[in-house]
Amino acid sequence: MAKARALDKRRKSIKNIRKITRTMELIATARFKQAMDRASAASAYTERITRLVADLAGSGLELSHPLLKQREKTEHATLLVLTANRGLCGGYNGNVQRAALERFEQLKRDVSEVRLEISGKRGMSFFKYRGLKWDEGFNHFEDKPKFEEVELLANRYLEAYVTGKLDRLDVVYTRFESSSRQYATVETLLPLASLGGESAPGGGEAKAMYEFLPSAESILAEVVPASFKVKLFKCFLDAAVSEQIARMVAMKSATENADDIIRELSMSYNRARQSQITGELLEVMGGVEALKQ
Amino acid sequence: MSTATATKKNTGHITQVIGSTFDAEFPEDQLPAIYNAVKIVSNHKGIKLDLTGEVQQHLGGGKVRCVALGSTDGLMRGQDCVDTRAPVSVPVGEATLGRVFNLLGDPIDDRGPVAAKERWPIHRDAPAVSQLSTSTDLFPTGIKVIDLLTPFVRGGKAGLFGGAGLGKTVILQELIARIASAHGGYSVFAGVGERTREGTDLWLEMQEAEIGTTGRHVIEQTCMVFGQMNEPPGARLRVALSALTMAEYFRDTTGKDTLLFVDNIFRFSQAGSEVSALLGRMPSAVGYQPTLATEMGALQERIASTDKGAITSVQAVYVPADDPTDPAPATAFGQLDAFLYLERSITEKGIYPAVDPLASSSRILDPQYVGERHYAIARRVQRTLQRYRELQDIIAILGVDELSESDKQVVHRARRIERFLSQPFLVAEKFTNKNGEITPLNDTIRSFEEICDGKWDHLPEQAFMYVGAVEQAEEQAKKMQEKK
Repeated sequence: MAKARALDKRRKSIKNIRKITRTMELIATARFKQAMDRASAASAYTERITRLVADLAGSGLELSHPLLKQREKTEHATLLVLTANRGLCGGYNGNVQRAALERFEQLKRDVSEVRLEISGKRGMSFFKYRGLKWDEGFNHFEDKPKFEEVELLANRYLEAYVTGKLDRLDVVYTRFESSSRQYATVETLLPLASLGGESAPGGGEAKAMYEFLPSAESILAEVVPASFKVKLFKCFLDAAVSEQIARMVAMKSATENADDIIRELSMSYNRARQSQITGELLEVMGGVEALKQ
Repeated sequence: MSTATATKKNTGHITQVIGSTFDAEFPEDQLPAIYNAVKIVSNHKGIKLDLTGEVQQHLGGGKVRCVALGSTDGLMRGQDCVDTRAPVSVPVGEATLGRVFNLLGDPIDDRGPVAAKERWPIHRDAPAVSQLSTSTDLFPTGIKVIDLLTPFVRGGKAGLFGGAGLGKTVILQELIARIASAHGGYSVFAGVGERTREGTDLWLEMQEAEIGTTGRHVIEQTCMVFGQMNEPPGARLRVALSALTMAEYFRDTTGKDTLLFVDNIFRFSQAGSEVSALLGRMPSAVGYQPTLATEMGALQERIASTDKGAITSVQAVYVPADDPTDPAPATAFGQLDAFLYLERSITEKGIYPAVDPLASSSRILDPQYVGERHYAIARRVQRTLQRYRELQDIIAILGVDELSESDKQVVHRARRIERFLSQPFLVAEKFTNKNGEITPLNDTIRSFEEICDGKWDHLPEQAFMYVGAVEQAEEQAKKMQEKK
């Protein structure tokens, strides 16, 4: 009976795990829809404003904005890592952490001062386990990051950048490409030119004609910071969607795995139980037969 | 007994034959004693019969019930049956070395009669309590998993438990190759109810293997007794006793350390259960004989080290249906100092020897016998593997990514330790193309300590398969790198 009972106990504990994973799957599915709507709504705006900045930068005008200027020397860098507050989402946190660690070590080699900022408890415990200290940690960004909250963060970076306390900002997050494709990526958000310049068409091509009113400077002063904020916000949104998708997928396969194990355990349990019954019957019958003689 | 009756043959006749047992009737005042051997020699209608039986029960009315120690083919009611007035006896002493016997002590290697000065009866008393010696010396084997987790005791008993096809016989033969060839004393091998072919292989191998650098062959210091699968249950029931008697002689008269290998002690219990019902005993748990524990105790208690000499024994124990709670292996279990449990799930990973590091244990794995360091590292290895086993369900359901960082590290090391517990065997050289590794105890302890400390975390798992000390894992990793 010992074996059958042990099997039954194990089966019960796995059933409990399955209950959790199935619930998490359902929750993630519901949250994913909301997060997805927010992300796709934001992405159109982000794309447009990025285009605008790129167009402006490439419009041939001698424009200058501190955020667009490439620094000659990078001395102060910040690495912002976006992870989840919770686990049970498969490789989501692991992938971001691995990418972050790699970039962090690279930055440390190249740049004299590196600040590490982490969003999400999971990321914090990862760096803590490795004995690395972070300068700033947030865990208030849940699955619905608010623009106001991100804006605070963005303003701080902008100010640091303008005053020369920050030369470079890298963000590690999970980019949401489509509902079947997300990947951990590292993006350099500051200086902004590194992004705006890339998508600008080469010289000599037909350029968008702009007329600036009241002046190009004043427009840039408005648009460039807004573009940065939106980009940063997009990172947070992407991370939130990806987290839900990752959780959904991970929990789905976890539930399936649990089903498989339960099925196998049930089979061995039934077999153990039946063989025990058979054994006992045989013993009783054997005993009766032996007594008859 | 008067001289007149002693010289006269005490003859009875067969009254009943039931499978491998038979009843015989003797004059009421001349009943053969329990355990006496009775002989039936006949040549009836061209059927030659030379059978020895052992008296088990007195049924009353001059009848005795006997177990046949050979085939009962051709046995008939009314045949004459002669009491030998003594139990079965086997030749003992130096003359038996290098020879192969059956349970009756007759040589079966076609090398002529054995010129032994003495014969000892196979039924003997276990040594008295006052004579027993309690040794606690570690007996190194050079096999990492055994030396670290289930250290053998010099003069003690070790058991290899395992289901069908997990490599019990291979480990036993490996131990013979390692221990007997480095051993100065005598060895006795008992083949109980296993494949005859394996016995022949072993015999041939021993003729080739040399003892250290002396130029003498292992077989010259060994005697072998076989009662294999093809023999009737009576033979399998008594062959272990025959071998043990020979070992006891070496222990009691020469004082040298004697090795006794038994493959497979379960067959002894099994044979007992085969004749038990025929003898009219009511079956007990799982159909075994009610006397299971008595029989096993009587045998195991005789395998003991005394103040005269030591018998170190290694026994293979078959575990039916991989169920260690089965009464037969369970009774054997209690008798042993060191206990190796072979696990099917480990053979499925291709790790040999498939010793389950958590289910196996040894009496002397205790700081007062093996030292603090050895004990601490053995326990650390077990803790790591235990934790890994606990996490296995979670990994199977949620994946490795869900584990906490410290658990991930435990898994990382446990997987390396698991593989590092494998080892190439001397007797498997032909099959694996790898030289057998004899790892000194110090290297074993140091290697496991370093793995637990994380010194070798960077090596790939595969590098830990089938190596000796941990430095060889490093070499193997380099070789794997080059191949890529």
